[in-house]
Amino acid sequence: MAEGEVEWELCKENIQPLRCGRDISALHQALSQQQEGTTSAINQQKQAFELELRMYDGDDPLDVWDRYIKWIEQTYPQGGKESGLNLLLERAVMKFTEEKKYHNDSRYVNLWIKFTESCPDPLDVYRYMQAQGIGTLQASFYIAWSEEYEKRGNSRMADSIFQEGFKCGAESLDRLQQFHKALQARVCRQMMTSVIDQETDDEPDEPQRASLNELKAKGKKKAVAPINRATGTVGYARGLQFKQPVGPSQNSRLMIFDENKEHPEPQEHKLESWAARPTAKAKENEQKPDKWTNVKLPQKSRFGHSVVAPPPKPNFQPFVEESDQPPVVTPCKINPAVNNVLSARRPRREEQTPLKRLQEMQLQQEDEDKSGEKSMYCKELLLSGVTEFSFEELRAERYRQKRSQRLEAASIDANNQEEPHTSQKD
Amino acid sequence: MSKTLQGITLKGSAELVAEFFSFGINSILYQRGIYPAETFSRVSEYDMSLQLTTDPKLKNYLTNVVTQLKEWLFDCTVQKLVVVITCLETNEVLERWQFDIECDKTAKEDSAPREKSMKAIQEEIRSVIRQITATVTFLPLLETACAFDLLIYTDKDLEVPEQWEESGPQLIDQSEEVRLRSFTTSIHKVNSMVAYKRTNSM
Repeated sequence: MAEGEVEWELCKENIQPLRCGRDISALHQALSQQQEGTTSAINQQKQAFELELRMYDGDDPLDVWDRYIKWIEQTYPQGGKESGLNLLLERAVMKFTEEKKYHNDSRYVNLWIKFTESCPDPLDVYRYMQAQGIGTLQASFYIAWSEEYEKRGNSRMADSIFQEGFKCGAESLDRLQQFHKALQARVCRQMMTSVIDQETDDEPDEPQRASLNELKAKGKKKAVAPINRATGTVGYARGLQFKQPVGPSQNSRLMIFDENKEHPEPQEHKLESWAARPTAKAKENEQKPDKWTNVKLPQKSRFGHSVVAPPPKPNFQPFVEESDQPPVVTPCKINPAVNNVLSARRPRREEQTPLKRLQEMQLQQEDEDKSGEKSMYCKELLLSGVTEFSFEELRAERYRQKRSQRLEAASIDANNQEEPHTSQKD
Repeated sequence: MSKTLQGITLKGSAELVAEFFSFGINSILYQRGIYPAETFSRVSEYDMSLQLTTDPKLKNYLTNVVTQLKEWLFDCTVQKLVVVITCLETNEVLERWQFDIECDKTAKEDSAPREKSMKAIQEEIRSVIRQITATVTFLPLLETACAFDLLIYTDKDLEVPEQWEESGPQLIDQSEEVRLRSFTTSIHKVNSMVAYKRTNSM
């Protein structure tokens, strides 16, 4: 125990805090295994979970996913890509979007919330959830959504999310009320402190220079400084704003756009049609298919500027010094035609947020349903979880199950016989 | 008197330990967000920066406790100090920071100072407080508003002072316990431990 103590403290920067805390023994185990480099035990357990995902045939498949994800969280304290947590969450969440019975299952909703926290656009995902009816009866859904708004400093929306929750009759009401009260308290305190700050800030501002303003005349001479200081046409475009009548509005400030104040996110309540297929792409300036050989490039007159003729060959020999040799090209293995090596590796996933992928997948499914396309192998089983299985692995597992069943039956039949157990080992 | 400068007496030890608790409790209250972070101010102590509350009521309460504690430490009658963190709404105990205090009672008769340098003690205290800070890596998030309570376990025959009352142990059922470091002044030894509600994940 004494050594374990040191271990978590030494690695504290590499341990992601979890909302529900960590199992200290699991943490010790994970850290010590990491240090020794023995990941085989972890891998074995992972494999076992993956197998269970595929072989499970009870009536609560979510349970396996839930346990698997919690195990991953505890086993990979530093998170990161190798844990595969995000991928797993995404798969889990997508797998059950059609299952109405899970939509207000607290485990499923919690998975969604965890998934959402890893998304770049959590608010969209929450709206999507609401549109799909996922978690709309769960207090935790509204709490998480409201927290997201609060994080962005939008406490009004945070509050209205709670109102939504009350309206929908989310369970449990107590919890919802408790968090709502806490939010109100926080907002109040914030306002109090900001009022106090303002009071202290109320001292007269130091005179500040306003940018893009006219120069004021100073002293007795009331000559107005020339406004349009730049001469010629260049300054004219910029000078437009100085054309206002010179008068009392000298110190008018620029209007500064404040997105928080003016437009409280106009898209807020567009909830419909998240799952709907986007309408055909709005393309403009499309050319109709045509025969290219008939097309003639419109040529303008000699004096027009659209004629682009290749420069004529000079009718003289450019002088080349005899000693001058063509520059030696350094031998280069890379084909110079391929010069987009670096740009080719740009990660494409950036623009594809998990939410988009989710929608795409749904569309794909619809497509498959419509077109009658059907994969004639157990695609789901192969690609479930985070690792891919081969047919052989699945078959082997089924075989193993059957055999152990048979052996069990045999051992029951033959009462206390030891032999089946020994043969199980090979 | 160079000898007393080097060593540590019972009185000095009691003061040191009491001071540790004052900083330690403040640290816990700050780290766990029991009081808003704005009400704390930073001070330098033990060669590290610590947060001390500026809330007058809380300050007063803590001073009272620590003065009382100092007395008991001097008498060697205190066994444990526990910081209990409870949910404000449901009164459920969520976290329990327990500091077991072992007193060397022979120090009462034998007044000769013990050999242990101040520097070494402070070093040990520092590592305990560091560890308190580091516990956020595994402790669950306290989602709700919480209150805290201080329990002090003393020897049985002690009279309860006016401002104190008897209380139950306020244990957490199904808790996860993590031992933290300990420190000793060679007269008082303090073992620390934190217990929190076990997650239902495994």
